[in-house]
Amino acid sequence: MLAQVILDGIMMGGIYALVSLGLTIIFGVMRIINFAHGEFLMLSMYASFWLFQLFGVDPYVSILIVVPMMFLIGLISFRLIIQPILSAPEMAHVFATLGFSIMLQGLALYFWHADFRAVRTAYSSTLVKLGPVFMNFPRLVAFAMAIATIIALHLFFKKTYVGKAIRASTQNAMSAQLMGINLKRIYMLSFGIGIAVVGLAGAVLIPVYEVFPTIGSLFVMVTFVVVILGGLGSIPGALVGGLIIGVIESASGFFLAPALKEGVYFVIFVFLLLLKPTGIFGRA
Amino acid sequence: MPLTLHIKNPKFYLTLLAVIVLYAVVLSIRNQFIGDILTMVFLFAGLSLSWNILGGFAGQFSLGHAGLFGIGAYTSTLLLTRFGLNPWLGMVVGGVLAAVVGGLVFYPCFRLRGIFFCLASLAFTEVMRIFSTHFRGLTEGAMGITIPFKEGLAHMMFRGKSGYMLISLSLMLIIALVSMIIKQSRIGYKLVALREDEDTTETLGVSTANNKFIATLISGFFTGCLGTFYAHYTLLIDPESVFNVMFSVEFALLAILGGIGTVLGPIIGAFLLIPIDSLIRGYIGQAQQGLSFIAYGALLVIVVLFLPHGVVSWLSKFSAKIFRSLPGGSAQAARAPIEPAVKTAAEHPARLVFPPILEIKKLGKSFGGLRVINDFDMIVNQGEIVGLIGPNGAGKTTLFNLVTGMHRPDSGTIIFKHHDITGLNPPHKVARLGVARTFQVVKPLAGLSVEDNVLAGAVERCPNIARARQKAWEIIELVGLNKYAEVKAGSLTLGGRKRLELARALATEPDLLLLDEVMAGLNPTEVEEAIELIRGISKRGLTLLVIEHVMKAIMSLADRIVTIHLGEKIFEGTPEQASKDEHVIKAYLGKEYRIC
Repeated sequence: MLAQVILDGIMMGGIYALVSLGLTIIFGVMRIINFAHGEFLMLSMYASFWLFQLFGVDPYVSILIVVPMMFLIGLISFRLIIQPILSAPEMAHVFATLGFSIMLQGLALYFWHADFRAVRTAYSSTLVKLGPVFMNFPRLVAFAMAIATIIALHLFFKKTYVGKAIRASTQNAMSAQLMGINLKRIYMLSFGIGIAVVGLAGAVLIPVYEVFPTIGSLFVMVTFVVVILGGLGSIPGALVGGLIIGVIESASGFFLAPALKEGVYFVIFVFLLLLKPTGIFGRA
Repeated sequence: MPLTLHIKNPKFYLTLLAVIVLYAVVLSIRNQFIGDILTMVFLFAGLSLSWNILGGFAGQFSLGHAGLFGIGAYTSTLLLTRFGLNPWLGMVVGGVLAAVVGGLVFYPCFRLRGIFFCLASLAFTEVMRIFSTHFRGLTEGAMGITIPFKEGLAHMMFRGKSGYMLISLSLMLIIALVSMIIKQSRIGYKLVALREDEDTTETLGVSTANNKFIATLISGFFTGCLGTFYAHYTLLIDPESVFNVMFSVEFALLAILGGIGTVLGPIIGAFLLIPIDSLIRGYIGQAQQGLSFIAYGALLVIVVLFLPHGVVSWLSKFSAKIFRSLPGGSAQAARAPIEPAVKTAAEHPARLVFPPILEIKKLGKSFGGLRVINDFDMIVNQGEIVGLIGPNGAGKTTLFNLVTGMHRPDSGTIIFKHHDITGLNPPHKVARLGVARTFQVVKPLAGLSVEDNVLAGAVERCPNIARARQKAWEIIELVGLNKYAEVKAGSLTLGGRKRLELARALATEPDLLLLDEVMAGLNPTEVEEAIELIRGISKRGLTLLVIEHVMKAIMSLADRIVTIHLGEKIFEGTPEQASKDEHVIKAYLGKEYRIC
């Protein structure tokens, strides 16, 4: 039983990690906490849903469409909402992105209504047996995708020129500019990448979760906890943070009460902020 | 600008008029729909005003006020339904509990910067919601609690809306009055200063943590009280509806929209937004629910992007002219400059003599593997001007930071006026003992006027605002900034900012003044003026420890020179001796240096 609880936690953790990647990248690069993060997830889940519903595209195949689409949406959102507030005080970030998140929820509610939408495929309820424990297939895929994405991003930032440019801008924006890096473009690109990763997460999550306009708020708080636990701006941090939170959540749901799951990691969150706000891998 | 409560001041009689009109309107309204809107307007104005005390005055952006609101609502409701406690008493209990919880929870969070405090407070609201849903034994869980209806003022329940309107209007006005009082008081000035720059305000002797705590208590109390009112208005409370993050956002939004940090702002914000809110919900209806969200979200974004200082700041462009043209207005506008008190210049009360005033023994400090101060000894005698020179990176500013409590030394002792201040922190404690400093990179409280900057330094010591203002003016005259008293510090030239920094430090009535490269960036004329100014300050009885690179200035000012290199003292003596000492020459001055 315990093994199952832990495994469920790890699987969930992987999902949290995948969802949090975008947030940590965006914060790491331009120090914006994007309160609308959950809504981008919601949008990509809807995108994947409609592709399935209207054109019969399998969610995992829809990745090919949803990811570039979300990348573009990210670029546009950056230009319209984020860029104007980059130089504003931090509280402006909170409110602008919060307002944007409410707008997106409103749009989803208006166009697609409050009904829960699910994608049922042949493999939706498939269970994979591994010794004494069972794993739900779509969750397993989500987990695998999370790992793969993290590795891919890690390589991207370490090996490619653009990746290095982004890292340079993160460490010292002024110096990066002096070295000829176009900061605005880097920011826009990073934001786009962050949202594209969220797009991937959405496509991969729709077989696991039903989507509805406010699903974003379900994820956004836990995403913040994961990101701060792992260290803002750190990709391995998002993974480690996600796994830890996933396991804690699963365990507290099992040992305490399902309703208190959220409460536990919020309390942890507050202590984390007080004791080590830089998180596990974060820089000050 | 002080609000003189004089009957002739347009701000005063207009406010009085507005209050009378509001009450008249409230008493005459019969339409229930409008009555409901007005009740909500006053309620949210009050909530936003309460939020504003912490979020606007102190700059601590809380998204946790819904948590305090809910505590107030639940406390009084539970006391009523379980023990029959009168709701008015319950309101006070709820308010006090909210204040206490708010204080306890927020206090440790104050050292979180900006967005982290915001997130922590958000987590608090969510935790309150989750726990109150789960612990059904206490709160009846998700179903909520209903209050059985009993008409009457004693029960805080009424059939029509008039009673509710009167109460919420009165509460709003009380909170507005309290806000105004805070704004004009010493604590108000301290809050505004620490909002601008916390670290700098600490060095003025202000305990930022304590002041924020007081602001939280006041803010929390009123928020809790209004929670009680809300419970008695809606007659049903449940976790989802009171511990609602969107409420927290709304309290803040109204203040931002109207004008954060002002008293009128939250009220204007409520009058603008709440009716629109109700109308949208009334007319657009369920099917189009998304539209109200879209509009609301868009409004948030627009306000942040285009009107970050709120409606009040936009209005103030015209309001000044309007006030002047009203009867009594021009008399207010032509405000006489405050006469400095009869020459307090030479009045440093017979100073106790502390030879030496500062004693540093075997001080040591490392940052990681780098030893920045090593076995450092130094004495500063009362009334001296000691110059501290050395190459960049020698450890001069670090020394200042160690003395003023910004960093903790690893070894050694620092004695100031017989007090052992080694490692004493936070910095405000050291400042209160009588040590003031200026910064190498000047740190004006940019959003405040010159006068308010200097006031921020004066309020800690002065028992009342009027006295503090007089002192501030006297010092502003001393440094020659009288013409710029009303100017925003951020728009001064470098020379002006340096004078301001000095003035602000002087306002704290220090015994020891640490000057960190005051001359940097000044042209030769300004350097001459600065030298004169510093001499004048020294004549007032202050002891000065001066870091300087402009050799001409320090050599002519200093009684003694101490030279520091790689964290160690390599020389101590007169300026004349310093210019000839081989160590000083090798490390710093260079062979060709001659004292002019």
